[in-house]
Amino acid sequence: MSTYRKGRSTVDRLLFLATAILAAIWIAPIVWVVGLSFKPNEILMRTTGGIAMPPFTLKNYSDILAASSVFGWMLNSAIVAIGQTVLTLVIASLAGYGFARTNFRGRDTLFLIVLAALAVPEQAIIVPLHTMVAQADLHNSYAALIVPRLAFPFGVLLMTQYFRAISPEIEEAALLDRASRFKIFWRIVLPLSVPAQVTLGIYTFLHAWNDYFWPLVSATKPEMYTLTIGLASMQTNFAQTEGIGFLMAQAVFAGLPVLILYLFFQRYIVSAVAGGGSKS
Amino acid sequence: MLRRTLLPLAGAALAALLAGPTHAQQKTEITFARFFGACEGDYGTSQDVAKARGECGVMTTLVNLFNATNKDNILVKPQIVEWGPYYQQLNARIAAKDIPTIAVMHTAQLGDYTRYVEELDPVLKEAGIDAGDFTPNARTGVTVGGKICAMPWDTHSWLWHFNIGLFKKAGLVDAEGQPLVPKSLDEMLAHAKTMKEKTGKPYIVIATSGPGDFANSARGYYSWLYDQNGSIFPSGYESANFKTPESLNAFRAFEALSKGEHITKGLDGSGALGGFMNGIGAVYMTGTWRIDDFLASSQKPGSALSEGYTTRVFPSLFQTKSVWTDNHSWVLPKGGTTPANRKAALIFLKFLWDHNFDWARGGGHLPARQSLMADYAKLPLRQNVIDIPSFGRALPHEVRRQFGFQNMIGEEIANIINSGKTAEQAADAAQERSVALLRGR
Repeated sequence: MSTYRKGRSTVDRLLFLATAILAAIWIAPIVWVVGLSFKPNEILMRTTGGIAMPPFTLKNYSDILAASSVFGWMLNSAIVAIGQTVLTLVIASLAGYGFARTNFRGRDTLFLIVLAALAVPEQAIIVPLHTMVAQADLHNSYAALIVPRLAFPFGVLLMTQYFRAISPEIEEAALLDRASRFKIFWRIVLPLSVPAQVTLGIYTFLHAWNDYFWPLVSATKPEMYTLTIGLASMQTNFAQTEGIGFLMAQAVFAGLPVLILYLFFQRYIVSAVAGGGSKS
Repeated sequence: MLRRTLLPLAGAALAALLAGPTHAQQKTEITFARFFGACEGDYGTSQDVAKARGECGVMTTLVNLFNATNKDNILVKPQIVEWGPYYQQLNARIAAKDIPTIAVMHTAQLGDYTRYVEELDPVLKEAGIDAGDFTPNARTGVTVGGKICAMPWDTHSWLWHFNIGLFKKAGLVDAEGQPLVPKSLDEMLAHAKTMKEKTGKPYIVIATSGPGDFANSARGYYSWLYDQNGSIFPSGYESANFKTPESLNAFRAFEALSKGEHITKGLDGSGALGGFMNGIGAVYMTGTWRIDDFLASSQKPGSALSEGYTTRVFPSLFQTKSVWTDNHSWVLPKGGTTPANRKAALIFLKFLWDHNFDWARGGGHLPARQSLMADYAKLPLRQNVIDIPSFGRALPHEVRRQFGFQNMIGEEIANIINSGKTAEQAADAAQERSVALLRGR
């Protein structure tokens, strides 16, 4: 017994050590980014070492805040990311439930078409998409930033698989009680799918928040820039060499809302990643 | 709980989607698409152009000054885009008919945009801008098919920046204490060998490790190619030839530096710049825009450049004195002006033209106006580079996708420097890749 405990304890210690090393490796670049963001650019032109040594400055952050547009860009990002997340959840849930639980003609073919869309890279559709949005005169609008991203086959696949894994007996009981299909979806199945919704929601939000290429070509007016485009536009031509501190401050600034999101939804994220929840 | 939180947020997002932004339209507005960054922190309200420094500072201050002082009720609205994807966005805007009134453009790119920009001969006359004042280099840069397609804004070129302290230590200085500049490939390699023996430092510092760094070695390649009166398009612009003796010589110059461990390997932009300012090597290959930074560093006691700093035009190792150049310029994209704002655009172009010296002084580039050269030469060390507009060269406008070529050549030279590729292998690879580039793939 004691041998077993001793062995287990050693394994635990080794696992803890390995985890700590991995965490340190993962955290080190972030610490470096934060450290550099508090250093004067003229110092960083000479060396990017010694982040813990003075001098320090808040100028890189005050420069971001001095651009009066930055909060507008943040609001744009929030509207786009929240709008995209909510609408994606609605569409993917409804479509997923339809594919998982209902029978209609052409269902399997339609599902295959949705899956096939997973194989189409974004770059392949950017030109026709841009032209379509231009013809609809929608560029430089929230609709242009949100709507094209709602076609999200991964979300449909994720929700379909999740709904398929939920025991059908629960729904059958409700059907016997003459509940409508939508009522069953809304009152019974949807609450059971919260872990999958959270996973999809976080994935969609992060993707929307960090999106660069589509906003770059669609939002060309500064008042419609998202945070990623707006912050990038502030970089000088030689940012890599003469504005590293500012560049790092931008990275920290852009990452803060995501960090806050993580802190608020940590329980759901851990649950979703661990594969927990109320399945069957 | 989650639903209760998300539903109101969804409502707010949709309401905002429907509302969209609104603007007051009181002044004659012109949109001004550019890179060069944004620097509201330092220059948000400044109108003192004489005190502005750096590309961003000068551009921001000029627009502030114009918006505050023009008598024609014109409002210039900058549309600032990151340098890297600037042309991607401009392409998208042209396709979507969301066209800026005025846009910045490298003249190396102008050949790709001829169909999309206005011919400026009549426009410049109407604006009161004397095209006869263009420097020869600026004139060549903005002229496509015999027509002026842009207003030139500067000439920028490729230099060697010298750490005089290391040159003194290596005994590679003349009687006046100025660095000896090699006049041939053999002489350069001999100097490099001496430098290494006497100081233990590499002769050349260069950034080669990232996509943004590839232009560095490509500009050196072009300079040494032009030095031999060579071309990568010796028989028309339909196909490139990277295996001419001149092209191979240019690749071999980098190969020889690399094999002798005379050139830094694997540095990115900040590593190379910081390294040079910390004395890791004797010569930094970069552009005209760095002169003031290095001068300032050399004036700080204890800095690695405190024993002296100077600069020279990228040295000619072969028979012809020539060097790579490019220009920033201003274009009027077709469809970007309306009858209402066209006059305003011309007034702003004239304002920029009248402030070309401010750009040259603060932005670090050579002026586009011949009449400003004498004053420019009075700035520190500019006497050493003042002749560039008379012998600088660029690829002809008939060559499409010039930035694609620049990156590709730079990648191949980075492979020579960092991965031990031979000059012949790099030339072969460049040859193969040029086919795809010219086909537009």
